[in-house]
Amino acid sequence: MNGQCIHVLLVEDNPGDRRLILEMLAEVPGAPFVLEAADCLASGRERLRVEDVDVVLLDLQLPDSRGHDTFLAAQAQAPHVPIIVLTGLGDEQVAVQTVQAGAQDYLVKGQVDGNLLARAIRYAIERKRAELQVRKLNAELEERVAARTFELAAANKELEAFSYSVSHDLRAPLRHMHGFAKILLEDVGPSLDPSAQHYLHRIHEATQHMGRLVDDLLNLARVGRQPLHLERTGLNALVEEILTDLQGETRGRQIEWQIGSLPSVECDPGLIKQVFTNLLSNALKYTRPRERAVIEVGQRAADGRGALFVRDNGVGFNMKYADKLFGVFQRLHAQEDFEGTGVGLALVQRIVRKHGGEIWAEAELDKGATFCFTLGALRRAPAIDNRMSRGAAWQLTR
Amino acid sequence: MAAHEIEILLVEDNPADVELTLHALRQNKLANRILVVRDGEEALDYVFCRGAYSARTLDRPPRLILLDLKLPKVNGLEVLRQIKSDPRAKAIPVVILTASKEERDLMDSYQGGVNSFIQKPVDFDEFRATVKHLGLYWLLVNEPPPSSAFSWG
Repeated sequence: MNGQCIHVLLVEDNPGDRRLILEMLAEVPGAPFVLEAADCLASGRERLRVEDVDVVLLDLQLPDSRGHDTFLAAQAQAPHVPIIVLTGLGDEQVAVQTVQAGAQDYLVKGQVDGNLLARAIRYAIERKRAELQVRKLNAELEERVAARTFELAAANKELEAFSYSVSHDLRAPLRHMHGFAKILLEDVGPSLDPSAQHYLHRIHEATQHMGRLVDDLLNLARVGRQPLHLERTGLNALVEEILTDLQGETRGRQIEWQIGSLPSVECDPGLIKQVFTNLLSNALKYTRPRERAVIEVGQRAADGRGALFVRDNGVGFNMKYADKLFGVFQRLHAQEDFEGTGVGLALVQRIVRKHGGEIWAEAELDKGATFCFTLGALRRAPAIDNRMSRGAAWQLTR
Repeated sequence: MAAHEIEILLVEDNPADVELTLHALRQNKLANRILVVRDGEEALDYVFCRGAYSARTLDRPPRLILLDLKLPKVNGLEVLRQIKSDPRAKAIPVVILTASKEERDLMDSYQGGVNSFIQKPVDFDEFRATVKHLGLYWLLVNEPPPSSAFSWG
């Protein structure tokens, strides 16, 4: 638009209609219109190819094109120029079709006066401007999303490279320290005085501990970036499997296991196995001072949802520190009393949250601890097969 | 097999790892004929009798190659790929011995035709036991490929 002037291109083959529109526009107060005319689609498109106009008034019935195709051809030539379709009485159906395809408006010849035409032109220009603005913003948004996605992918890749290098490069010097300390202990240990032997043992233990830390941290990072592989899983079978795995830790101890009937749930079986393994190992560890450990696994209602729990009669903890329980490297017991890296419960929490659930603990110092967790919106579903007959069937809704 | 032939080719650039591996092999009397090379290029030179090893012949391959993944010049996966895609060498058992147990490395190694993949344990006792097992297995228990597998003239 040049200043106040609105450049109008009229594509119309009927000289009478052309003159009529010219006169109408000339009568509009202020007459800001500069009108050019073309008498066929080809010359109209040629004019648009040379230079933009502010608006096109397009007759659909031209010597070289008819109907909807006329509009499509004009729009293809100048997609950012608003087009008002001119149609004869009775052709309105085609005109509506062009509006759906992107024409700004249509006017029925013979039912138009100067004011209506002027208003239609101004509205068409404004609407087109708004439409182009929306498109531009959309395009920018898409560009930003693409850029951000690219950045995230790069960050993810960097993180992967980092954890790879942790696993490969940090482990190597540890292995070496551990190995040489061990060789020293074996080869010259017997001839060393007790304090030198003691320090060598200390080095040895420290490298072992750091090895576990590196492994646990890697696990934690891995869980964060792995997608869930959901599968209906019978939790009783899963827990039994873990009890078999834990036999090494339970040998020689008096342990009463009370395993209730557990549901079948949609979950990532590998990860949920890790949750139960960590909770049960903890229960075993913190009941060590008990002559007879009692460890219970079951389900109970919590806020109308099914929660799973692992309870023990171990040393428990002061609820004052409950908020520290699930933090990485947070420990509530001295390393000498109960070994550990402080990553186990952080990992458990991460897995539970990934399943859309929550985990919390209830305990009293010296009176045992209970860890409860939900897996998303666990809700009762009808038992549908024998696999679930051991317990009520539950399902996870996401 | 002539006494001077190499039984184990250890491809490892880290001197501490070399020392620990040799220590573990020696304790188990498995380190009699072992050659240590420090990068992937030298490993390939040895296997394919090139460069410093051009006097060797392809019909006397090592009984076992212990291969690290992260190596100077040519990395372990590439060494594996070249060995396993060459009919003159593909029958040589290759065991990856690495710090990594990243899924991608496991995948690439098995796709590349590795015979075994072992993550070096941090605990030296475990490492020693692992080295002992794999040495005994590949040098004594396992039946090696027949010499006709390497008679390519």
